[in-house]
Amino acid sequence: MIKIEHLSKSFGRHQVLNNIDLTVTKGEVVVILGPSGSGKTTLLRCVNYLEKPGDGEISIGDFRLNCKHARKKEIHQLRQKTAMVFQQYNLFRHKTALENVMEGLLVVKKLPKEEARNRSIALLEKVGLGAKLDAYPSQLSGGQQQRVGIARALALEPEVILFDEPTSALDPELVGEVLAVIRKIAKEGITMIVVTHEMGFARDVANHVVFMDGGVIVEEGTPAEVFNHPREERTKQFLKRITPELNYSI
Amino acid sequence: MGAPFDISYVFSFLPKLLTTLGTTLLIVACSLLSGVLVGFLIALPRLYKVPVLKTCAEIYISFFRGTPILIQLFLFYYGLPEILKLVSVDVTRTPVLFFVILTYGLHTGAFMSEMIRASVTAVDRGQVEAAYATGMTSFQAFSRIVLPQALGIAIPVFSNLVIALLKDTSLAFTLGVMEMTGKAQTLGSISQHFIETYIALALIYLVISFTIEKLLLVAERRLLRHEERSSPAKRMFRLQKNGSYRRIIAELGPGKGGGGL
Ligand SMILES: Nc1ncnc2c1ncn2[C@@H]1O[C@H](COP(=O)(O)OP(=O)(O)OP(=O)(O)O)[C@@H](O)[C@H]1O
Ligand SMILES: [Mg+2]
Repeated sequence: MIKIEHLSKSFGRHQVLNNIDLTVTKGEVVVILGPSGSGKTTLLRCVNYLEKPGDGEISIGDFRLNCKHARKKEIHQLRQKTAMVFQQYNLFRHKTALENVMEGLLVVKKLPKEEARNRSIALLEKVGLGAKLDAYPSQLSGGQQQRVGIARALALEPEVILFDEPTSALDPELVGEVLAVIRKIAKEGITMIVVTHEMGFARDVANHVVFMDGGVIVEEGTPAEVFNHPREERTKQFLKRITPELNYSI
Repeated sequence: MGAPFDISYVFSFLPKLLTTLGTTLLIVACSLLSGVLVGFLIALPRLYKVPVLKTCAEIYISFFRGTPILIQLFLFYYGLPEILKLVSVDVTRTPVLFFVILTYGLHTGAFMSEMIRASVTAVDRGQVEAAYATGMTSFQAFSRIVLPQALGIAIPVFSNLVIALLKDTSLAFTLGVMEMTGKAQTLGSISQHFIETYIALALIYLVISFTIEKLLLVAERRLLRHEERSSPAKRMFRLQKNGSYRRIIAELGPGKGGGGL
């Protein structure tokens, strides 16, 4: 179980996250929605300490981290328990697809080369890239690069995978293949927190939907609750703007 | 001036000049080595934005970039012993070569630091974050992710710097060092065939520069092989899209325009 408690973050005087509480149970898919600038990316980045939170606590299983007084070793542990899939893929450009996936296994998990290789090949096959093992990122399409990114995240066997708008940098025709892979691993019971604007995906796959605005969680619940019966005005307005075909009574 | 032109002298001077090639290459190699070290030291405070040290680094770079190498040589060779005398350190027995290498090392270091800084910043931040997110330490992220890519990006600039350094070493003769240019001066005076010595000298410099350039080009291709695309059209497209990558090289390209002279 992952627990985020009273997490806050400011950039200078601009408070971007304000007292966020969020609990994610094992195997759950949490989708975070919210308008641009609401702090979704910042929240994910705080969860694996790419951004230093101003205050708050993060616990994953028995592991507990006080964000304010985190030591190097604890940050390192936190990062091993989480993995991130980036909007811009952020693959290591000088490494092949296979090497990208193997890197963490070799360097962080210190697996023997043969084992790392076999596991990475299996993962790349799982995301449908068994034929692209030796391709460099520059030789892959955006959708393929993102699937390598997902395989790289899976390789570390993290407690939770954080997805930050994994499909929003993709050409529309490539979105489907990436969402299909995320769906597939969601079914396998991998815990994930996904920031996305893909409402269809959110409805189908999410167990829990969180709506953020202005650095706070405005509303959360099951997809049915949030999509069909939003309680808060801000949620209704947001949903209306992003899915105008559905008529929310405001 | 001197004796009438005779091409055969060019050929007879070549082997004589080559006897001092070792000294020239020694200066280049030692200066490069110290230059890379100094370059790293100077680049670090700028990369990590360390307050006071960063300003010191900038002043250092301005000095070595903004003054002629000849003046720097004189300052170090004639000035440094005087300063050291004040703190009663006697360096009068130190070989000239030491001062020469010191000056070229510090001089190249200034340019190296600019090269290092630009190449490291050209590797996009996202990859470093991905490395951290994977659980790598900052040392691992630097050595495994940033450095290999920065090397490839740095090579065109590095190549220019090495060639500029090679040419700059020709000024060491002003302090009486018997490297190739010094030797050429001597040969010219003795034989009075100045033009022929300079032609021979130019030929040698040209061959070495050319070799260095080609070798480093091979290294660059190898290090950047991951950016090669199947079709040239696609490659052009990528270069435009990934602007930061190449533009930095373009900006740095003339970094050491014309060398020190
Ligand atoms: N490094 C930073 N320095 C200063 N301000 C920042 C920084 N990163 C984010 N912000 C600010 O924090 C706020 C939240 O940003 P964040 O990227 O988390 O929003 P988001 O919900 O992910 O938006 P989007 O949907 O556009 O991705 C924004 O106002 C942004 O300008
Ligand atoms: Mg965002």
